[in-house]
Amino acid sequence: MRAEVIESLKQIVGEDWVLTSLDQTKGYLYDETEELMRPEAAEDSIVVKPGTTEEIAEIMKYANKELIPVVPRGGGTGLCGGAIPTETSIILSDERLNKIIEIDEENLMATCEAGVTLADLLEKLREYDNLFFPIHPGDEGAHIGGMVVENAGGAKAVRHGIMRNHVKGLEVVLPTGEIVNLGGKLIKNNSGLDLLHLMIGSEGILGIVTKATLKLYPESKYSGTLLISFDNRRDAIGVVPKILQSGIIPLAIEYMERDIALESAAHIGEKWPAEEGSVDVIVMLSENKEDDLYEKSEVIAELCEEHNAVYTMIAETTKEQRSILAVRSNVYTAVVHDAADALDMAVPVASIADFMNDIFALAEKYGARTPSVGHAGDGNIHNFIMRENGERPSYFDELKEAMYKTAVKYGGTITAEHGIGKTRVSNLAIQLSQKEIELIKGIKKVFDPNGILNPGTIVNKR
Amino acid sequence: MGDEKYTGILIFAEQKNGIIHKVSYELLNKGRELANQLMAPVYCIVVGPKSMDLQELIYRGADEVYYVGNDFLNLPEELIYTENIINLIKRIKPEICLFGATSFGRSLAPRIAGNLKTGLTADCTELKIDEDGKLIQIRPAFSDNILAHIKTKTYPQMATIRYKEFSEAERDINRSGKIIKVDPILVEKTGVKILRELECMENDISEAEVVVAGGRGIKTPEDFKILYELAELLGGVVGASRAVVEENYISSQHQVGYSGNRVKPKLYIACGISGAPQHLAGMREAERIVAINSDPSAPIFNIADIGIVGDLYEVIPTLIEKLKKKEVAV
Amino acid sequence: MNIGVLIKQVPDMEKVKFNSERGLIDRKSAGTEINPFDLNALEAAIQLREMTDGKVTAISMGPPSAEEALREAIARGADEGFLISDKHFGGADTKATAHTLSAAIKKLGGFTLIIAGEKTVDGDTGQVGAETADYLNIPHVSYVSHIQAVNLDNIQVISDIWSGRYLKEMALPGLLTVTKNINTPRLPSFKRKMAARKAEINKLTFEDLKEYIALEECGLKGSPTWVNKIEVPPTATRKGKIIRNDTETAVNLLVELFKEMKVMEG
Repeated sequence: MRAEVIESLKQIVGEDWVLTSLDQTKGYLYDETEELMRPEAAEDSIVVKPGTTEEIAEIMKYANKELIPVVPRGGGTGLCGGAIPTETSIILSDERLNKIIEIDEENLMATCEAGVTLADLLEKLREYDNLFFPIHPGDEGAHIGGMVVENAGGAKAVRHGIMRNHVKGLEVVLPTGEIVNLGGKLIKNNSGLDLLHLMIGSEGILGIVTKATLKLYPESKYSGTLLISFDNRRDAIGVVPKILQSGIIPLAIEYMERDIALESAAHIGEKWPAEEGSVDVIVMLSENKEDDLYEKSEVIAELCEEHNAVYTMIAETTKEQRSILAVRSNVYTAVVHDAADALDMAVPVASIADFMNDIFALAEKYGARTPSVGHAGDGNIHNFIMRENGERPSYFDELKEAMYKTAVKYGGTITAEHGIGKTRVSNLAIQLSQKEIELIKGIKKVFDPNGILNPGTIVNKR
Repeated sequence: MGDEKYTGILIFAEQKNGIIHKVSYELLNKGRELANQLMAPVYCIVVGPKSMDLQELIYRGADEVYYVGNDFLNLPEELIYTENIINLIKRIKPEICLFGATSFGRSLAPRIAGNLKTGLTADCTELKIDEDGKLIQIRPAFSDNILAHIKTKTYPQMATIRYKEFSEAERDINRSGKIIKVDPILVEKTGVKILRELECMENDISEAEVVVAGGRGIKTPEDFKILYELAELLGGVVGASRAVVEENYISSQHQVGYSGNRVKPKLYIACGISGAPQHLAGMREAERIVAINSDPSAPIFNIADIGIVGDLYEVIPTLIEKLKKKEVAV
Repeated sequence: MNIGVLIKQVPDMEKVKFNSERGLIDRKSAGTEINPFDLNALEAAIQLREMTDGKVTAISMGPPSAEEALREAIARGADEGFLISDKHFGGADTKATAHTLSAAIKKLGGFTLIIAGEKTVDGDTGQVGAETADYLNIPHVSYVSHIQAVNLDNIQVISDIWSGRYLKEMALPGLLTVTKNINTPRLPSFKRKMAARKAEINKLTFEDLKEYIALEECGLKGSPTWVNKIEVPPTATRKGKIIRNDTETAVNLLVELFKEMKVMEG
């Protein structure tokens, strides 16, 4: 990066908050994207850590004038290379915007700065009697700003939906340096096109989120996690739509194959409680009445038995429930070193069993090892395509494309929650029409005429 | 007023292989302070192998040391110890009886209190004397979230005291006192036989009191040596951030973070760790955090008690050198 | 082998709130659970039963609502639960608790082994196990991290004590207190959980125990220690002292800190 740029940035944020030497910037060049999938980062990028929205606005004005790419960065937990600078860039870290501004118990809303981590927010909520924020993308180091622009999903979407359903207001710095406030603590709001929702899931190409107002819920008093084991994958996945059709809406229904559950448990030093069977379904329930919890559990347990479940357990203490969720949440970090790619497809829930059966058949056809876990209750499965001898297997591209096409065949998506980022740009056309991609490019141009904000993300720069 | 039949403060000075446990010197310090307030003597009981030199206990504040010495007493046999200690407590009749809250002390004291039909307060962190000359025992409860002030109606007033709460008593070689040898009581059938002592397992990072952890600022795997050296001087273990574990600098058992071990040591020294949320999740509950990093903007400084902006390759070796000199001086 | 497991119902410590200004503990929104260390004791007992046959009896002293904890123990594998509950038992300290528990164990009779957790997360004393053994006049081994072997006459265990690890053999009947490293407690099967919700919990009142304990030895009356005052210390804030590019000062400050924290003595 040019010396005068570094100097100008230091003028804006102060000497300490600009990192230029590689041993300090190293930690900011990559996110959690699989090693074999991630693009190469431009190592001469620099890191700035602004402390206020106004500083960000100034940085954007300067960068826009000088035509320097800016890559916004939150917790670095993304899985599609969204935060990786592929050309010499200003990496704009939101880590200093870390204040929780307000917990509004009356409106059930929280307002925080973008760099607040999910862990911080959850910890803050524990101070209150019964407030609850459901979105849990696995890694609690995720920043709220990143969760907004990546439209995070995670386990508990079955009952409460995804990040998009919980963002009520945003403060955003546009690529051209203006600050806008979108939305508010409203349930209904019909003024004009919905820019708030355009910003959610925009993967940092339309603006930099600096503040977010999020919807909270009162927490139900009784929670339980059912751990149901099956002898085979088909039985396990087959029961998922049945549970939903029974009218019970759990917080989460997760599917996890035993070998990776054990790997993940070993990775974080927990013991996986299930011993019988080879595949587990995890159902998380949360109810206001104790009897409801058990009655619903009974219905689910019976359904599972009809689907040849071999053993059902229930965890009720906070610690034991958290341990199960932690094993589930850490699958990615435990397995990723051996994976070529981690896919993130979703289909309508009713199709999940058929879809997975097709995926299993594809894997068999190629002789591939594709362990799977997933948020089965919302039709979202993560399949790993594993490495062979440390390398991408020869059938990799073919198999991956075939899997993507299978998802689309069922009316599904190639990425349910991880996003297109920089790693799936070339796959986008499998799902979207040329016209849709053109529209996205057009919108990008309106917000960012010079294409300086996170170039190469979602769509190619042209 | 206290009960006149009971006077003085009795300290059980734990030993192993003839070496007095340091908590005993801490108890002597506090015990002496309380004794001065009560204008009462300080007694020590030592149960252990033959030929222990116990002058040190007198230098550190004991007036009378009762010594039950026999080589069969050099094993953690609660029931044999119990008999011998009860015998002495009955003879000495102290108003206050203090044990270190070591694992052995916690296993012994309840049996002794039960037998003497007196109260016992566990794991105290502070002791005071009230206006009536009674002992106020202050101890954390509810997983260290509250402090309870406890008093005892019966005599002796017994308590176990946490290790490293008080500083050790000053050594005064001009102090004088008596060492009284007592014949051991042999207990024929305790019901417990010690078959053998086993090797200790490697220190578990999640239970360590001191963790010295390295991150990206550590340039090569070999450089972890200096962290091991520092950890050893502080009686701690070595931890690591995920970044260096993934680079195979150190095995994943050392990883601290959201995926990895969650640690809650008394002291956490983060060396060259920037403090990604992933890492902070695993260590932010440490009682004290020291961060050493060349990058002044590293988020680890936000949660550090002491943040050192500087080169860890200069700071840590200087620190090690200084600590080693200190050791020699003591 | 007939094994008695001592359990205590405690608040869910993650949800208990502490008010430092008013010195209050608010556990009403917390919910209750079995003391986590007691789950290790229960699991150890169940594993022993699986090896030797016999019966596991969970025993708890507490208010009537502690029945819930005993049902949970049954869900996790205990055969039976006994609740020691009476207004005369209220306000007991560790001595009165140990005394009452020992009276109940004598009353029930026939136990070869008693297992307790290392400590509870609310009282935090770790005294009741060994003190109960004393009242029962049986041997005990504390801080047991592994059970090596067992037969009808004795049990071999590893005790993490005296800055070391010792293989000890205890004659039965006897009492063990176990650490959390001894095992990972299993989750209850859902079927057992549902069955246990309807399980009958046996009750023991003072009336039932009076041949083994006197009224003045129970509860508040039988407790030589009493809580005079409770403080909730404010959460410590970080000092946040930053030293820049001055190794000498930094190192001196660290040595001071180490001294204050007594970490240099190993």
